[in-house]
Amino acid sequence: MVRVKNRYLVVNFLYPASSTASKSGDATPELLQFHAPTPDAFHTGILLRVVREGVAELFGDYGTSMAGAGLKVNYWSPATSTAIIRCPREHYEMIWAALTFITKLPKPVDIPVIVQVVRVSGTIRKAEEEVIRRAKQIICRVKTTDAGGKNPIVDSIAKSVEKRRDAENAVLAQIDEADESESESD
Amino acid sequence: MAGFHDLNVPWTKDTKELQRTVAFLDELGYDVVALTYTYPAGRLPADLASPVPHPLPFPTPSRLRLLRRCNIFLTDSASNFRIPQLQQHYDLIAARPTDERTLQQACQSLDVDIISLDLTQKFEKHFKYPMLGTAVSRGIKIELCYSQAILSSDPTAKRNLISNAVQLIRVTRGRGLMFSSEAKSVLGVRAPSDVINLASVWGLGAERGKDGLTKEPRSVVEFARLKRQSFKGIVDVVYGGEKPPAPEVEKEKQTPKDQTNPLKDQKRKARESMEGTPVSQSGEEKPISKRQMKRNKKAKTGAEQ
Repeated sequence: MVRVKNRYLVVNFLYPASSTASKSGDATPELLQFHAPTPDAFHTGILLRVVREGVAELFGDYGTSMAGAGLKVNYWSPATSTAIIRCPREHYEMIWAALTFITKLPKPVDIPVIVQVVRVSGTIRKAEEEVIRRAKQIICRVKTTDAGGKNPIVDSIAKSVEKRRDAENAVLAQIDEADESESESD
Repeated sequence: MAGFHDLNVPWTKDTKELQRTVAFLDELGYDVVALTYTYPAGRLPADLASPVPHPLPFPTPSRLRLLRRCNIFLTDSASNFRIPQLQQHYDLIAARPTDERTLQQACQSLDVDIISLDLTQKFEKHFKYPMLGTAVSRGIKIELCYSQAILSSDPTAKRNLISNAVQLIRVTRGRGLMFSSEAKSVLGVRAPSDVINLASVWGLGAERGKDGLTKEPRSVVEFARLKRQSFKGIVDVVYGGEKPPAPEVEKEKQTPKDQTNPLKDQKRKARESMEGTPVSQSGEEKPISKRQMKRNKKAKTGAEQ
């Protein structure tokens, strides 16, 4: 049986010009400001719409019909601002370019954002592993830069992220199962 | 492997904004960043000293290497750009030609490091390979700034930039191109891999796109450094670490009699050849002149006969 080939983009949302900077002062390190969590108002549906609109703007009708066919957001975590987006293998570059051209989250949230594609993968398993690896890496880096609990904000965030990670692993396992059943049906 | 370069980050007086930009570039994985000061069009001011303070007024990421660069507008091919003076104050010099004639001048004769075109406007004429080819063969790179395509709200500017970029890629055949951001704010900066993908969408292969962020800008930086520091742009003395530790010298001092005899008889040739090679580690020693080399050779052949 011939399988439909896909590419999975692991995407990070970064917030370089955070609005909270002026309020909270310099208490939170820049590393955490860049990797801030996304507001809950921004969900998978909006992300999908943003990507579709971006492709339509850059590549027109041709792009939307070629690349929009297999487009799906497999995973979205507002806490770490990470997503896994599935797209057809032949046209993943279009989706990637559209993501690069995003400068702002749309209306209900309305925050300037930079979207960084962290990894392109052929299987969702590797994409998930990358997500987990990144999350671990960031926590380690924050811990090392702050050197021993000077900052209560950092500690609490690190704790909550760590707690969340277990929950995430469970969710990812669910996605994995769902995806397998899907590819069998193709 | 050469790291990722972004050789065009406009310098602003707003320290906080600049610090944020630099920290964010470090976060995205860039290794070398050049802060650009653009001289306003028209005559250059009398005092050419760089307004960019040398140790920046804020802590910078340790991994990042910061350079200083200036942009000069070429409006009139007859005026004097005082490039040698500029070279003393900046690590890199970029020229921004405004019309056909100044572009030709920049490609063929000006002693600049980078040619940076304003891609948002439409050019009357197509770029020609012979002109850009001479620039590339002289070691000048042509710069594509991508942030205008991302930030600009004006759709025609976006369109012009993409069409110009595609044309430049076609004309130069992908050689001698480098990518940089020229981001007016932090939001115009993109990660290296995203830029490479953008390049491949624009018709430059992923390999060449990567070269445009690593190899080409590195060659510009190193070439500019050599121009300023080395002897005639060719010979440079590299610090090769400390000399071997002192104990050996003491040994030689202790046994002067034993060493002189065998050296005179047997190892004469070897000693001479040792003298002939310039010691690269000692920084102050000058390379031997040709005349001296000839003399040495004559003496050597005479001794053998």
